Amino acid sequence: MVLQDLMPDMNGCSRCSNCKWVPHLQVKSWRFAKVCPSVDRYNFHAYSGGGKMIIGNSVLSDRSTLNDTIAQIVYRCQLCGACQVSCQVYRDDIDLADVLLSLRSSCVEQGFVLPEHLDMIESMKREDNTMYMKKADRGKWADGLDLTDINQSKAEVLFHAGCRYSYDEDLRSIVRGQAMLLKETGLDIGIAGMDEACCGGRAFEIGYQGEMKNYAEDMASRVKASGAHTLVTPCSDCYYTFKYLYPKNGLDLGVKVLHITEYVDQLIKSGRMRPTKEIPLKVTYHDPCHLGRRGEIYKSGWYGTNKLERPIRFKQTGKMGIFDPPRDIIKAIPGIELREMERIREYSWCCGAGGGVLECEPDFAAWTAKERLEEARATGAQALVTACPWCERVFKDALAETGDTSLKVMDVMELVSISQGGTSYGVE
Amino acid sequence: MKPSAWNEILAPGAVITDKKTLSAWAAEQSFTSGPRPACALKPTSAAQVQEIVERANAERVSLIPCSSSAPHFRGDTAPEFADAVIVDLGGMDKILRMDVRNKVAMIEPGVTFDTLQEAAHKAGLRLPMPLVPRRTKSVIASILEREPHTIPKYHWDSSDPMCCIEVVFGTGDLFRTGSAAGPGTLEQQWASGQAQKSPMGPSQTDFMKIMQGSQGTFGIVTWATIKLELKPTAQKAFFVGGECLEDIMDFTYAILKPKLPDECLILNRVALASMLTSTAQERDAKAKDLPNWILFYAVAGYEHYAQERISYIEADIADMARRHKVHPQTGLKDIAGLKFLARLSQSSDDPYWKIRHLGGCQDIFFLTTLDRVPNFLAAFEDECRRHALPPDDVGIYLQPTQQGRNVHVEFACMYDPTDAAAKDRIKNLYLSASRRLGDMGAFFSRPYGHWSDMTYAKCPDTVKALHKVKAILDPQGIMNPGKLCFKKGA
Amino acid sequence: MVSNDVYRALEDALGPENVSQELGVIDGYSWQPALNLGYDAWCPRPEAVVMPQTTEEVQAVVRVCNRFGLKFKAFSTGWASWGSPGGPGVIQIDLRRMNRIIEIDEKNMFAVVEPYVCGSQMQSEAMKRGLNTHLIGAGPNCSQLANATSGWGYGWTGLYTGFSGRNPMGVEWVLPDGEILKIGAPGTNAQWFSGDGPGPSLRGIMRGWGGAQGGLGIFTKCAIKLYSWPGDAREPHLKGTLTDIKGEVPATHKIYFLFSPSYERFADLAYAIGNAEIGYIHCKGAVGAMFGLLAPRAMKKLMANPVVRAITKAFQHMTLFALACHTPREFAYQEKVLRRILDQTESVMIDSSVLPFHAAFWWGTHRSIFPAMAFRPGGDFLTSMGSNEAYDCSVKNAIESEKLKREYIDKGVFFEDMADCTWGGIYEGTSNWGHMEQIGMFDRRGKQSQQGRFDYLDDTMKLTIDKSLAFGLSCLGFDLWKVFGPRMFNYHLWQSKIKQAFDPNNLADASFYIPPYDQVCADAADGAEKDKDAMPASPAP
Repeated sequence: MVLQDLMPDMNGCSRCSNCKWVPHLQVKSWRFAKVCPSVDRYNFHAYSGGGKMIIGNSVLSDRSTLNDTIAQIVYRCQLCGACQVSCQVYRDDIDLADVLLSLRSSCVEQGFVLPEHLDMIESMKREDNTMYMKKADRGKWADGLDLTDINQSKAEVLFHAGCRYSYDEDLRSIVRGQAMLLKETGLDIGIAGMDEACCGGRAFEIGYQGEMKNYAEDMASRVKASGAHTLVTPCSDCYYTFKYLYPKNGLDLGVKVLHITEYVDQLIKSGRMRPTKEIPLKVTYHDPCHLGRRGEIYKSGWYGTNKLERPIRFKQTGKMGIFDPPRDIIKAIPGIELREMERIREYSWCCGAGGGVLECEPDFAAWTAKERLEEARATGAQALVTACPWCERVFKDALAETGDTSLKVMDVMELVSISQGGTSYGVE
Repeated sequence: MKPSAWNEILAPGAVITDKKTLSAWAAEQSFTSGPRPACALKPTSAAQVQEIVERANAERVSLIPCSSSAPHFRGDTAPEFADAVIVDLGGMDKILRMDVRNKVAMIEPGVTFDTLQEAAHKAGLRLPMPLVPRRTKSVIASILEREPHTIPKYHWDSSDPMCCIEVVFGTGDLFRTGSAAGPGTLEQQWASGQAQKSPMGPSQTDFMKIMQGSQGTFGIVTWATIKLELKPTAQKAFFVGGECLEDIMDFTYAILKPKLPDECLILNRVALASMLTSTAQERDAKAKDLPNWILFYAVAGYEHYAQERISYIEADIADMARRHKVHPQTGLKDIAGLKFLARLSQSSDDPYWKIRHLGGCQDIFFLTTLDRVPNFLAAFEDECRRHALPPDDVGIYLQPTQQGRNVHVEFACMYDPTDAAAKDRIKNLYLSASRRLGDMGAFFSRPYGHWSDMTYAKCPDTVKALHKVKAILDPQGIMNPGKLCFKKGA
Repeated sequence: MVSNDVYRALEDALGPENVSQELGVIDGYSWQPALNLGYDAWCPRPEAVVMPQTTEEVQAVVRVCNRFGLKFKAFSTGWASWGSPGGPGVIQIDLRRMNRIIEIDEKNMFAVVEPYVCGSQMQSEAMKRGLNTHLIGAGPNCSQLANATSGWGYGWTGLYTGFSGRNPMGVEWVLPDGEILKIGAPGTNAQWFSGDGPGPSLRGIMRGWGGAQGGLGIFTKCAIKLYSWPGDAREPHLKGTLTDIKGEVPATHKIYFLFSPSYERFADLAYAIGNAEIGYIHCKGAVGAMFGLLAPRAMKKLMANPVVRAITKAFQHMTLFALACHTPREFAYQEKVLRRILDQTESVMIDSSVLPFHAAFWWGTHRSIFPAMAFRPGGDFLTSMGSNEAYDCSVKNAIESEKLKREYIDKGVFFEDMADCTWGGIYEGTSNWGHMEQIGMFDRRGKQSQQGRFDYLDDTMKLTIDKSLAFGLSCLGFDLWKVFGPRMFNYHLWQSKIKQAFDPNNLADASFYIPPYDQVCADAADGAEKDKDAMPASPAP
């Protein structure tokens, strides 16, 4: 979508600044009332969702021009989508997240790009991943697991690990455990190994929108070749790309897409998976933005131009994201006490890693993560549990920085594995 | 300017030059005194007041507005300088309008509490009263001085129950505040359903608030609208005794928070006994039987299911009383709660209850919060010991204000003014204790007499701001010069 | 853009990260469509934006402005056009880094806050302590400090929690010349519990019915009154974000829709409620506007149907009323009284606790969420009338302005909302005073509303004068003091004298306040006031 097409949205901004706050009926304290990491860290209104809309408006109105300073503001944003959720509590005619994406696209078009993002795009172009790693090493995470290689045979379920899980050795035990958990349940799980490629979502997010199409087509052909009826991914970013970005851009994978938490939740509820071992642990659950509010399926079917007339069912409110499956999994595990943070579900605080921030503004990413860790600690939880490798990465790093050993960062699937008696994660 | 020149403005007899009468303005009950004024003027209309102010500006004559009749207690109407002219508004004593539906009365400055209360009662309304004021006290003067009233739930803001005022500023300009400013005449406003009830404004300033507490240094109020309340159709009154203030403090907070009681105040036994007796002996005898501290509160029913209202509040308060381990009773010894309540809705019998027993009284009062009162009490008791003031001569009154957010603390130090030594002791106590309490954080929000220097020394920023206001409203400094921070030459 | 010297001075005061004159950044302070009386949503662009964190930093900025002769304009949460510069050459002071609740005095029911504490933050912290705060209708995204010191507005719970301008206690204020003034008890180091005295109350300089809208300096701390919260001392467990809210409502809380047969009986009902000392929320309901807010698309279709229009109009005189009681006894009594009052005023009620959206409605009103939904139908709205006076006058405001709004709806200027008066109620329990605002919803992006809404505002101003409807929102536009001042004891001259005395260099941007006295006089001499009876043209862009 071109920024110009979103001018009515930008003109609709009343500058109420609700985009900075948790939807007000969910504000539960002074401390955790804010929802936008960008403006909370950098303060000037321009950093907020509304402020970025004003930037777009200003540029298109020839009041100002994009430049390096403004581009930095545009990119100091995790695209977590919280601003849109809060905005749309009141507004039907503003798709704030689309403006943020289009603004980045405009930056790229006009040559205002960040060197770190350029490196990432290079890495994607050359090695099909966002991690600056070699394509040849992509499948190494699954070495020795004896999973079906879809390049050689068909599988019912295609497991797409995503860039972070494929290459982040620190998280390797988690992704290996996830795959084994499914396999041990007797499922026919296939992986693409070194032929798995980036979903392209991150390229789209950092403004290289055209790049995503190639990855989507590649992904679609791989899915088709695998014969799988279901695509399962443990990566929230990939999930968002499959559920929202692809269909919004007219791309269709032709397969049912599930996040691993959705899939495992179904397996537990159907009795195929039985976490029975008690885990005496107080945990809190962090909603990954791209699984939660941004994981809401793209609501296609409305083609009008005046959003004041758009039926509400086409509004991306974020409410239909994946919130309950991971919680239901946690609740199904005996002994675990789930203590909710104040900012949850569609109004969750971001981990800090998204939107290319981890790559270009690691300090900002860490600051955002630390804010979330503090909120987690306030619940009295012993573990912050989540369901996204990007969240896990940034939380683990932030935790290590603080030297706090009272809190663990865990993936939901780690808990399932422990409760099933598995040891494949290497966690106790 | 010769006093006789005022006859050009005022009717014969409205210019008082009799020395004996004038001397009463100079010497009053407080330790503030000043020279005898040159004359006293008794205007009967706002137009006359305006003419007086204009003439005073032209002739550079000091004016001291005064609405209440003697005895005066605070020192704010005692001239600081010679040749001052008293503007005695006591003759402007009409109730101009009583709006029953909107529960508001428009009155002139000379209207006293009993007059207004009687008219209000006839209309099915009532005026929240200060604690048994002296019979000669002007309603407008009392409220202009932010004197607290005894029904905290109706005291939303410090200016209550004042709504709008008409005022002649020190410049001679006539002004109306709040919604009374218009647009439209009063008659047009009434026709559109208005009642001069909104106290704020007009627009982005609030001159009524500026006039409040100004001790006549900015201008002269010629009428005001006063917020009234429904007269209860049924009432019940309770006493709760305590040996120390802490015994009843939390319970007081508990009942105030949900706005349950109507009248609600705390007295020490001396204050309570003083109000109900005629002589010092009677007072001491009655006080002896009373608990050290008495919380008094009333609950009321109005138009609808009055008894049921009282019943539910009584039951809710009883639950609170159990939690706080106190025992509300409808009578205290021989004092019936309802009888005492009736006493609170009127002015004092003469002589005024604070001077009835010994002949003199010096009040020390300030604002704080209820939880901090024990600290101030301890300090004050220490001062009393140091100045050899018998505790049985100090009546203490605590009035929760602004719905309980702060409290007016009043030490009524009673003494025999004919006893020079006693008078000296009281004066020394008054000065010493005030300073000590002020240093502890007591807020002397109404800095009369000697308190002004002590208080304004703590807030030079406020003094600077007040001088700017003074320069606007009374640029020639003719209004009650020397009071507050407006010292001569400042 | 400011000179290098100024920029360096500001950086020295605040650190470079808290100063900007980047165009894209400062445009974030220029875009102010809400309640903007100009044609363009862009207000004059500030020369630079600064973000102090302490009172001393605010003072430093103001002193820099005085040193270099620059105007300044501060805002807190920054919604609506009066927060932005009213002309060129202004430094915008964004107070969002001053965001602390300094103290909550539970027993004595007040809190001391900095400018960037918003309504929902304050309310959530207060509720944990069994207390509540007055939230203005603009919503919980607005600053509690600005609400008390500088703004105006009716809040849903005004019946129980008072009115903006009546709620401040002690205040800390950086005056336009850079001096710090502490109003009331804090001025004498006696803590924050009083804002009046010693002697005259400088709150009367600080604000009136309306605030100075930044035209007389910067408020950096304010003690605000809190009120009893008759619920559990905790936040409710709610699911959802607004209309989808699901959750518990305390047994002693309930919200009702009350319908009266006429405006006369509607007013009687309000008076009776006040006199009976019952209730926690009293607000004029408007069926048409409510549909517009909750289901704007359906509203458009429904209102095309004459039968639906007739039915809706029949329910026009609606009161939204809530009980929130401390005990079941209190609740039983208050509900019983309510029923009797309804009988006596020929009114009927719908008890919304039987409806599925009761929780959403209760918590939404309690947190003042709904008014901001007036943006839903068209993306923008304006407000008018809304004088504060005896409620009979408020009702007259409604009756008269509804006729006017009908004309403008028919002209296509505003969206159809059955022309109901939309917003307002009674304040302070028995006081019987309140206000009624007339809101018009429109789409700024459309053309039909541009001139029409200014014509409408002009007409509401004339209506206020012609019918003596008291000073309200229709009297607060640009330079309207020129119209109303001479009709109201020349209040504008007194106000301008205050401006001149407290802002000798005329640096606090007074576009939404008043110029200094000398300038007012000079304008008058130039003939700006030569025809005082003439109605002004459309508000200045």
